[in-house]
Amino acid sequence: MSGAQARPARAPRETVEVTRPTSNATLLARGLARAATGGAKLAGALPDVVLVRRGVQADPAVLAAYLQLVGEEVRDVLPAGYLHTLAFPVSTAMLARPDFPLPALGMVHLANRAEVRRPVGVDEVLDARVHAENLVPHRRGTAVDVVAELATDGEVVWRGVSTYLARGVRVPGADRPDDARRPEWHAPEPTGLWRLGADVGRRYAEVSGDHNPIHTSRVAARAFGFARPIAHGMFTAAKALADVGPAGRGDAYAWEVEFATPVLLPATVSVCVTPDDGPGAGDAAGAFTFAAWSRKPHLTGSVRPLR
Amino acid sequence: MADTTDRPTRTRAPRAEANDAGGGAPRRAVVVGGNRIPFARAGGHYNHVNNRDLLVAALDGLVARYGLAGERVGAVAAGAVLKHSKDFNLTREAVLGSALAHDTPAYDVQMACATGMETIVGLANKIRLGQLDSAIAGGVDSASDAPIVVSEPLRRALLDLNRAKTPQQKLKALARIRPGHLAPNAPTTGEPRTGLSMGEHQAITTAAWGITREAQDEIALASHQRLAAAYDAGFFDDLMTPFRRLTRDANLRADTSMEKLASLSPVFGKRLDAPATMTAGNSTPLSDGASTVLLASDAWAAEHGLTPLATVVDAEMAAVDFVHGRDGLLMAPAYAVPRLLARNGLTLEDFDVIEIHEAFASTVLTTLAAWEDDDFCRDRLGLPGPFGKVDRDRLNVHGSSLAAGHPFAATGGRIVATASKLLAQRGSGRALVSVCAAGGLGYAMILEAAA
Repeated sequence: MSGAQARPARAPRETVEVTRPTSNATLLARGLARAATGGAKLAGALPDVVLVRRGVQADPAVLAAYLQLVGEEVRDVLPAGYLHTLAFPVSTAMLARPDFPLPALGMVHLANRAEVRRPVGVDEVLDARVHAENLVPHRRGTAVDVVAELATDGEVVWRGVSTYLARGVRVPGADRPDDARRPEWHAPEPTGLWRLGADVGRRYAEVSGDHNPIHTSRVAARAFGFARPIAHGMFTAAKALADVGPAGRGDAYAWEVEFATPVLLPATVSVCVTPDDGPGAGDAAGAFTFAAWSRKPHLTGSVRPLR
Repeated sequence: MADTTDRPTRTRAPRAEANDAGGGAPRRAVVVGGNRIPFARAGGHYNHVNNRDLLVAALDGLVARYGLAGERVGAVAAGAVLKHSKDFNLTREAVLGSALAHDTPAYDVQMACATGMETIVGLANKIRLGQLDSAIAGGVDSASDAPIVVSEPLRRALLDLNRAKTPQQKLKALARIRPGHLAPNAPTTGEPRTGLSMGEHQAITTAAWGITREAQDEIALASHQRLAAAYDAGFFDDLMTPFRRLTRDANLRADTSMEKLASLSPVFGKRLDAPATMTAGNSTPLSDGASTVLLASDAWAAEHGLTPLATVVDAEMAAVDFVHGRDGLLMAPAYAVPRLLARNGLTLEDFDVIEIHEAFASTVLTTLAAWEDDDFCRDRLGLPGPFGKVDRDRLNVHGSSLAAGHPFAATGGRIVATASKLLAQRGSGRALVSVCAAGGLGYAMILEAAA
């Protein structure tokens, strides 16, 4: 992943403290307001701010429910996916800013890259910092990276880059990239099967704080062109991370995922979670790749130990 | 207990006997005999009968055959795979309901389909160490009387309701219950960590090894024909107690044929790219049944005027990482057997009797294929070349689980009793037993004719 890639030297962004999470009502109201005004079909510049929320901490009850839902053992170390949920309210606050150039409502999660740089314990008090970068044209609209970091005493212990797509929004002056076709999909040999109930959208919303109604409401899903509610991408990615398991990923790891076709709930999904070097690999931590698909791929990704 | 003194109790083996192999080496543990009830198909003859009943039936038959009524046996170890939480002391309860003396200690063991193997090996080791002089190993399962549990949200809500102190807390717990939570969950053969059933896992392995439908059906046909022939020859007469009007395994189809087996539709592997080959005919059915094996020291057997059938020589467990597709779910015996034979300085040719549990016909075939495969044996087993070829005339000669059925925990006892009697009939030689199990587990055991 691009974690090591340094940002060009520039004036530090303005720091804005976030003291309380953006409510769903606010998000919805702003989204609807945008829709009512016809929405901005041309994206402006990204706000040059870093949002900071101090004193973020795991809730043991929510953590246990999260771990059980995604298929992790309940332990006192936070997996990358749960750390994502700790930073998520701050990311949401960024997307919901009136000066954010893309509409938060209806955004598509294209990809997610995260690093756990050292094990983070359930009791650690963390500062979440979020900025946005890489506002780039995409063949279906405009993509943006929301970069979140969790740090303690200035040490970044987790960093996540979420790439979102605003469909139909264009960057002024930028050419739309060619309609690059995805390479033809060949399903690997499955190693497992996920049976995802109709309620996993609601259950993941409860443990992650991502209450986007596209995951919980048939009506909302329809409004965005899906026949049924769709699974949270991060829920499926977290399940794949759980399937790799602690022995495979080690203490510090990079976890990357690209989302393709959404999973319409309920669903039965084939999965392959396997060492990169295929059969014959030892049990020591090594790179894993994963994929989940029905007829078409839902997500592909990898988990790679960092040391 | 004072009231046991008038019974012919047997004291612990004197230290001298424990050491009679010399130099402190363990003495040998022998298989004296075995007894099981005929295996039924789930929902058949043993409907509405529970694990304890089935285990008692197998135990009582063994007790009757070897004249152990009212006697204290060193220990009874048994287990079930599909086990109710109320049966936390299943084996002890079965002993209390059996003809054995009530002061016979008992404990439960659970190692999926290898449960029976582990009870035998664990007890044999205690006998070898002089901790026991006699023991009964066993296993039982009833797919007909399987535990059904409430859904996870309902269970948690009920537990919280139970803990609630105020009416408000109680209402809060109750309010969490949704109509959908009321549907009960029956146990499945699904692997908890992968969500694939055992059959679906094996279908992947079957496809990876290119095992044909015909080869699987041939294994199934041989299993039925050989088991039927063994019944006709009276082989099981002293290994079985009829139960509930069942005198032979209910799954046995003596008149089956390649044509009949070929007419069955595949049930596993239908999501795979490769053609599906696994049918109800070449896969074991869900079954009910129980088995027991009587183990002892030579001295105990002699004292009881009993002739040992076989010696438990050694055993090896293995496990594979099926979760990440490194190996097939049921391929652990492919690792256990070569390790066991290497430790004992033996090769496959050194065995006169080979028993490979037929979880599916293709389990046998993928195991044999792996042992003949140069790459697998070099890369995975670390051997210089292929492990070896199994002589099919020595393999499952009296049929196996495809014909007999497979009440999970009872299979080890069935196979070890059969192999031990085969060795006793031969009067010499060795037997190799291999059993695969859920969770990527495998178990291998060497038996030797006792004579």
